[in-house]
Amino acid sequence: MNPIEQFELQRIAPYFINGVDVSFTNSALYMLLAAFAAVLLTIGATSRRALVPGRGQALAEVLYEFVASTVRSTAGKEGMRFFPFVFTLFTFILMSNLIGLVPYTFSLSSQIVVTFAFAAFVITLVILYGLYRHGLGFLKLFVPHGVPAPVLVVLIPIEIISFLSRPVSLSVRLFANILAGHITLAVFGGFVVMLLGAGAWAALSPIPILAVVAMYALELLVNCLQAFVFAVLTCVYLNDAIHPGH
Amino acid sequence: MRAGKNESDQELRARLEKLQTELGKQEEERRAETGGGLPVGGSFGKALSAGFTVLSEFVAAILVGALIGWQADGWFGTKPWLLVLFLGLGVAAGFYNVFRFAAPKDARGGG
Repeated sequence: MNPIEQFELQRIAPYFINGVDVSFTNSALYMLLAAFAAVLLTIGATSRRALVPGRGQALAEVLYEFVASTVRSTAGKEGMRFFPFVFTLFTFILMSNLIGLVPYTFSLSSQIVVTFAFAAFVITLVILYGLYRHGLGFLKLFVPHGVPAPVLVVLIPIEIISFLSRPVSLSVRLFANILAGHITLAVFGGFVVMLLGAGAWAALSPIPILAVVAMYALELLVNCLQAFVFAVLTCVYLNDAIHPGH
Repeated sequence: MRAGKNESDQELRARLEKLQTELGKQEEERRAETGGGLPVGGSFGKALSAGFTVLSEFVAAILVGALIGWQADGWFGTKPWLLVLFLGLGVAAGFYNVFRFAAPKDARGGG
């Protein structure tokens, strides 16, 4: 009945190194499951390499084409060197979101530490690649050109704050969407139970059930969309690292 | 034989160029179709996601600005002036984020 009970971490195999908790938790289990599902889809389904693809192979091919065209249209041809990274990120988030939608499972993206780790990794990659590719020229990213010098004094800190806010907004968006969605589903599910236990009011219980069904469809959309948005924004940020001069 | 080979080289190049332009044209058509925005989800999903993007971009910039100011105050012992300053800059950065998200690409003045 507690709507946030579903986000609790549980130690499956408690393990401590010098008092540091490195237990195998349900979060770690679902990470493995998501990775395994992605591998199963991309390697398992395409192992036959049929000329006329079956269901699994068609799905894997659509996924590949979709991510490839996203990367190409947002980060350009040069961005394709990051395709493996973006594809991994997208499939992992998508799989963990979809697995998390199954009742009684745990949703990885509902933990801000997981999504922030992704976002921090992305932004570190952007900074490191930008510096590696352009040296200090990468810092031109923070200097909008065609602006008079006095305005730059204000604009450069704003640009830097705006850049630093990217990992925050990237991680919070994914985390908050998934968290809010799962809480809403749990709350409406709880209404059903409460109404059933309230005597004559039980007659009203189909109403929240219908709401849950409708919201479940919406959640399916939101979960896929957020995985996609995460991948697109990763591409947009990588594009900044590739072409910082504007 | 030599001349023939050169000629076929040229022919090949011409064909390649033609293919290239055709590919470019198709790419442009495809991009026009998807509108350059989010290519998936119904209009409702798109609107939902756009709204949430604006919200999180705005809030994140303010949070980051406030955090920088707060930390800098701790380092330089200038409580609370840097927090005030960076909070203001954070709000400006938030509006800037929203503007960048919402404005069409050619209206951004090269930014």
